[in-house]
Amino acid sequence: MKINAKDLWAGGLLVFLAVIGLYINGGFLGIGLEQHTLGTARRMGPGYMPMLVFWLLMGLGILVLVLALNSGPDELGTWQKLDFATLAAAVAAGVVIWQVMDRMGYSNNYIQVGFACLVGLLILAVSPAWRPLGMTLASFAVFGLALEPLGLIVSIILLCGIASVADREHRPLGVAAMTLFLCVLCWFVFIKELDIRVPLWPTII
Amino acid sequence: MELLLSNLAHGFGVALTLDNLLFALLGALIGTAIGVLPGIGPVATISLLLPITFGQPATTAIIMLAGIYYGAQYGGSTTAILLNLPGEVSSVVTTLEGYKMARNGRAGAALCIAAVGSFFAGTVATIIVAASGPLLTQVALSFGPADYFSLMLLGLVISAVLAQGSIIKAIAMVVLGVALGLVGTDVQTGQQRFTFGVPELSDGLGFVSIAMGIFGIGEIILNLERPEARSVLSGKVGSLLLNREELRRSIAPVLRGTAVGSILGILPGGGASLAAFGSYMMERKISKYRHEFGNGAIEGVAGPESANNAAAQTSFIPLLTLGIPANAVMALMVGALIIQGIQPGPRMVEAQPDLFWGLICSMWVGNLMLLVINLPMIGMWVKLLQVPYKYLYPSILVFCAIGVYSLNNSVFDVYQTLFFGILGYIFSKLRMEAAPLLIGFVLGPMMEEHLRRAMLLSRGDPIVFVERPISAVLLGIATITLGAMLLPGLRAGKDKALAE
Repeated sequence: MKINAKDLWAGGLLVFLAVIGLYINGGFLGIGLEQHTLGTARRMGPGYMPMLVFWLLMGLGILVLVLALNSGPDELGTWQKLDFATLAAAVAAGVVIWQVMDRMGYSNNYIQVGFACLVGLLILAVSPAWRPLGMTLASFAVFGLALEPLGLIVSIILLCGIASVADREHRPLGVAAMTLFLCVLCWFVFIKELDIRVPLWPTII
Repeated sequence: MELLLSNLAHGFGVALTLDNLLFALLGALIGTAIGVLPGIGPVATISLLLPITFGQPATTAIIMLAGIYYGAQYGGSTTAILLNLPGEVSSVVTTLEGYKMARNGRAGAALCIAAVGSFFAGTVATIIVAASGPLLTQVALSFGPADYFSLMLLGLVISAVLAQGSIIKAIAMVVLGVALGLVGTDVQTGQQRFTFGVPELSDGLGFVSIAMGIFGIGEIILNLERPEARSVLSGKVGSLLLNREELRRSIAPVLRGTAVGSILGILPGGGASLAAFGSYMMERKISKYRHEFGNGAIEGVAGPESANNAAAQTSFIPLLTLGIPANAVMALMVGALIIQGIQPGPRMVEAQPDLFWGLICSMWVGNLMLLVINLPMIGMWVKLLQVPYKYLYPSILVFCAIGVYSLNNSVFDVYQTLFFGILGYIFSKLRMEAAPLLIGFVLGPMMEEHLRRAMLLSRGDPIVFVERPISAVLLGIATITLGAMLLPGLRAGKDKALAE
């Protein structure tokens, strides 16, 4: 049995998504969340097409899974222990922060989502294999968090700062110059030319 | 015939306004720039610039986005010839002969024939688009909802089949894309589906977020993981003129490439890359000078370059006449049109003559601009390559973040893009193709609408899909294509062709 690891996980992901979809739609083996009325074939309710689509997805996912059992070795790439550890820690931290901030009431403007993502991704980036993924997306999270309270310029600075950690070739001077250039360019293109409504400087001082 | 001419005249009237000229030029230049730069392609760029186009009227927006697409074909060939670095997938073939020609000191000739061949192909393709538009529209007007559904199904099947890698996975990605398209408010009943009470999702998942997250950010992360090898530029370009023999040898390949490209561009899932490969294969088989292939035969540049430009233009045909995207770039165009409030489909030619004819004429004008401007500017384009990627990718991230925010002035969209960035990374690690997902996402809601309407009209009887002749034929083609591609022999052939 030559297991194709990538396809195995791919098929597993598809089946997982299909089951979630069917569950939410209200029709997986009797258990359901939102009850979208299915209706009949003649008068399709809102739940009909999702049901068709997710059953089809499940079928294809199972097919991919089964075919993966024999289509030849195709490893996922070597994972170090650190990679597993950071992944687990990142997911755990993210979920915890999300729930805690939600309960504490910090949920306007999705700040709890942003913070959870930021912390989780930074933890993920500790491991060198995850660093490009973690840092690039963490820069996005910090941009989302900082944009409205701190303004565009600060957000760009934060984004560039975090994103440049992802590439080991960056030098501080180069990063600073690039950030300055981007700030000016974005001011010109977005504020002056396109006039998008976003605060330029911090608004919470 | 007079109708065609008067329509073209109208189109030129639209295309030659100052605004449209400016944006066509802007699109073509940006397209050439990203075509030159490896690591960013037309899909990521178009999704990046989509938010910026919303302030413009629809025609101007599409003109610029189209310019990016065919401009990228020009740009990709420049680095392919000079540096053996294909900027675009469709330029990979050009590296085979073009770089050899550069090593023989004939870089200028290769660049020249690439540009001239592309312009010729672009002109012919423009005429084809102009002529076929109204014709296909007539045919499509007799389509009922069942036929539309089957046509879209055929489009999805072909794009899955022609995707790289496992066909089953590609089909699954199409279905997943359709599933993602289901999020939001159900049009026919007003009920919220899969929105979890989040108000920002009541309009569905952000199309731009998906495109930028999966194609833009995902691509950046992958590039950062691979330490790139920068080849040092050998800047000598030499004379840009072709000598008489090269010119003579190029005529037939350009004609053949144009034909191949025009046909393959219309095919869903095809597009410029497939056309370039197809033309190269053809030239290798039937050219009189095929013994020179591998050492710098000009046919290997003239044919593929004409083919990829012809395909880039004819891939607009299914979009403009039937509303079906032929590849991922066209899926983005559909998204752009829908956000501008235009419903793509057969009615678009009558309802939006400015857009249709203006776009066609603007594509020709854009090709002309590229021919005239690009050849002298080649030195500048190559200098662009000196910009290290480490300065490029934060710029892309910044533009991406601001662009996505500016769509709805909502930070939610930024987080949505982040989420799709993660998803895109997972997909590429598991070798799941993203382009079929985008096409499924765009076509899914439309398919559902037609399915429901068809079932309503037929009182719940699914036989209607094989009863109506058009629908039956389309479904038949879809089944045959699917079946044929699942046969091991054909699949190996396709994989071999794509792998080369």
